[in-house]
Amino acid sequence: MRYPWQDADWRRIRGEFSRLPNAWLFAGPAGIGKRAFAETLAQALLCEAPRDDATACGECEACRWFAAGHHPDYRALSPDDGDDGGKGARRLAQIKIEAVRELIEFAHLSAHRAGRRVVLVEPAEAMNPAAANALLKILEEPPEGVLFLLVSHQRERLLPTIKSRCRPFVLTAPDREAALAYLAREGVENAEAELAHHGGVPLFEHDAARREARDRFLAALERPTLAGLLALAEAADKDKLPLGVALDWLMKWLGDLAGLRLANAVRYHPDRRAALEALAGRADPVALMRCYDALVALAPFAEHTLNVRLQLEAAFADYLNCLAAPSRAAR
Amino acid sequence: MSYQVLARKWRPKRFADLVGQGHVVRALSNALAENRLHHAYLLTGTRGVGKTTIARILAKSLNCEAGAGAEPCGVCAACRDIDAGRFVDLLEIDAASNTGIDNIREVLENAQYAPSSGRFKVYIIDEVHMLSKSAFNAMLKTLEEPPAHVKFILATTDPQKVPVTVLSRCLQFSLRNMTPQQVADHLAHVLDAEGVPYEAGALSLLGRAAAGSMRDALSLLDQAIAYGVGRVEEGGVRAMLGAIDRRYLFTLLDALADNDGPRLLAEADRLAELSVGFDHALAELALLLHQVALAQTVLAALAPDEPERDAIVALAERLAPEDVQLYYQIAVHGRKDLPLAPDEHAGFAMTLLRMLAFHPASLPGASAGATRAPAARAAQPAAPASQPARGEAVAAMPSANVARSAEPAAEPAPEPEPEPAPPIAPPASEAAAPRRADADVPPWLDEVPPPDEWEVSPRAPASTPSRPVRPAPERPAEPVATPQPAAPFTFSGDWLELADHLMKTAASRLGMARMLLENAVLKRIDAGCWHLAIAPAFANHPGAGREAVQKLKDAIAAVLGEPVEIQIETDAAIGETPALRRARHRDERQAAARAALENDPVVKAFEREFGAVLLTDTIQPMQE
Repeated sequence: MRYPWQDADWRRIRGEFSRLPNAWLFAGPAGIGKRAFAETLAQALLCEAPRDDATACGECEACRWFAAGHHPDYRALSPDDGDDGGKGARRLAQIKIEAVRELIEFAHLSAHRAGRRVVLVEPAEAMNPAAANALLKILEEPPEGVLFLLVSHQRERLLPTIKSRCRPFVLTAPDREAALAYLAREGVENAEAELAHHGGVPLFEHDAARREARDRFLAALERPTLAGLLALAEAADKDKLPLGVALDWLMKWLGDLAGLRLANAVRYHPDRRAALEALAGRADPVALMRCYDALVALAPFAEHTLNVRLQLEAAFADYLNCLAAPSRAAR
Repeated sequence: MSYQVLARKWRPKRFADLVGQGHVVRALSNALAENRLHHAYLLTGTRGVGKTTIARILAKSLNCEAGAGAEPCGVCAACRDIDAGRFVDLLEIDAASNTGIDNIREVLENAQYAPSSGRFKVYIIDEVHMLSKSAFNAMLKTLEEPPAHVKFILATTDPQKVPVTVLSRCLQFSLRNMTPQQVADHLAHVLDAEGVPYEAGALSLLGRAAAGSMRDALSLLDQAIAYGVGRVEEGGVRAMLGAIDRRYLFTLLDALADNDGPRLLAEADRLAELSVGFDHALAELALLLHQVALAQTVLAALAPDEPERDAIVALAERLAPEDVQLYYQIAVHGRKDLPLAPDEHAGFAMTLLRMLAFHPASLPGASAGATRAPAARAAQPAAPASQPARGEAVAAMPSANVARSAEPAAEPAPEPEPEPAPPIAPPASEAAAPRRADADVPPWLDEVPPPDEWEVSPRAPASTPSRPVRPAPERPAEPVATPQPAAPFTFSGDWLELADHLMKTAASRLGMARMLLENAVLKRIDAGCWHLAIAPAFANHPGAGREAVQKLKDAIAAVLGEPVEIQIETDAAIGETPALRRARHRDERQAAARAALENDPVVKAFEREFGAVLLTDTIQPMQE
């Protein structure tokens, strides 16, 4: 399945079919449909009777296998979801070397069907260093007919040796109209605010409970009192809100505060602009940056077993500080 | 046969085809020609400079059936087998996926057996930096003294990760990065042979984008051919590389120099639309700032053929050197934090905002203190209830011109004469506003220079951004003390009053003479000569020395506006000196405080009901 805003990209990549690389590296921000695009491409390449516009027919045996998720000449590599009990949820999502070794074995076997085999790695930066290095040799000189599709949200985090072996392909993000049209078709409520909150990318989780939690969270940030924020931290802990999510919300809020304070621009919360403006007048930019720094320092540990409530309380205290009287904050 | 990417198709097959790396080729060729071969080589260098390629060519040279010479023949069975990757005596090991000791053991066990068809058994161990520690150690003995028919060639991008014990057993060659020119020339050669039309400008762009790696260049070339549908044109390549001309960087720095937040973020949005990588943008920004700093310090170090030289020099003049350093630091830090931001756009925008936030002109302290003081004060009478937010908003704007425009606007209309506020700078406690309110011009206003002249002085601090930031109330006392004519003190003959005045206005200049002032009493004045009496106990104190007397004399002369002479005499019963008076006041306050507590009804009730005891030693009067 391909998204409406990817038609131009599809035409572009079709032009490259005559010169297939060893590996494509699809880059762009998260949430613009890179994986869907790569899967479409994989299906089209594996299809045994592609249509005139090089898309998959959807009827041949290969296509049906692909749709069912067990095409023998296709492998998709993603971080393991931690199937070893409940603890997995907080583990760092990584692609490990064992998975890559299996992949190498797969690549060296001959094909089941027409001779072409496709490997999808998503997201490529999830490979840990050992896994990424193990992929190097096969990526450079794969056996005949093997094509790698790497998908990366943050291309710069990949090893230079990996990037150098791939042909880059930057996917276009949808513009605002296209994204809104898509959300409207999907029947998303409050589409504009949602789109803005997710930084203008149209693909995100639609979880009503999470959205309500977010509204409560932001409402408390709007009226910052110590009691209110402490209660919020407690509630977040009780609802098992992941630290990463809370950090994301808080960072976006601070980003907007700083944006309003210094550049008169709001990116994530245009629907709450009035409240933000009131707060921005009081905010001390230096303290704001310091508060943001603390969140950045915390971000790598978002999946850790830290005490969410403690961490949030500390962050909220910083937040209150930057809204305190400027003379106090300046010190 | 299906299409093979250029990087693979054009992997050099002979030493003569290699681009660059002349130093390595020469050493290897000579060694081969004279048969002085080392048994283990280590090839290092960044991605795509020819490590694996050289290793394979060397393997061919060693095993070529036409005899071991510098160049492999390329036509014999051994050479063709090696090119096709099926020569039995060449073992190319991917150390990154076979990292363990068992893998290495397996390989080395076979080393003792003679080669089956070639002269040498060649082990190419690629990505060797990924081997585990035990795997490295297992190699050591064999690596040091291999059988005569075994050659090792190790290749890695990361020699720091290889143990020294391995390094010392190998002959190490470090391969150099290609220059953009070498890359462009080779690309031209490839395109000529492939029969693809091209523009020379496109190739030099690709050469620069490849950053020293031939494989990067060939991957990009593949993409460029696909992008341009069989042609390589400059415009197409520019668009493909993400419009990496650096104009947007200059826009960003311009906006920073103007302190123009909205324009800064608008430019960031535009970058997102062009899908320029934000990480790349920050790296480029740091690079440009480095060039600006160069232009500011050693202009000669800036390459004269730098295409944007003029723009860089112009920026160097607009930005303060310390700002450039600050921005550079922030850009480098921001790059590190980019993966941790909610999304890259947010990280990038936050980095730019940080440059604004930490700019001296927008620090809140600066607004209250040195820079902003005149404008903020001038605004007060016009809008007494002006909110802090307003004042801050003004503060965040570029300093000098805003100060100019804000002042006349906020000036109270009926009073055209401006206040001499900054030079006097009274402590903030006696608020400026009330004094302004009464239209009476204070007597000392007469001596104020005409408006044009004083207008310069309040802004002077604004032009020195490095000045320590300090809120107004804490300003040092010296501005208060300097303008003696402004405080017309009339001496009424009361020594204590004069002493008070001196302590208040000139304390810092008196220094040691303060002791004298505090401990002396004025006996009489005859004909400009003041007779001061001090207690005998104080006579030998340095505070009564000649230096102190001189200082006191100067201070009194300054206050009265006429020269005085001072005569010191000792007297056992001199009466009340300022110091004694202060002590008396203190005692009186202490006594009053104690009395107040003892008579307090609540305290009394406590004493009565609970048998409480008042610890009279601990009573301290409130400080005034």
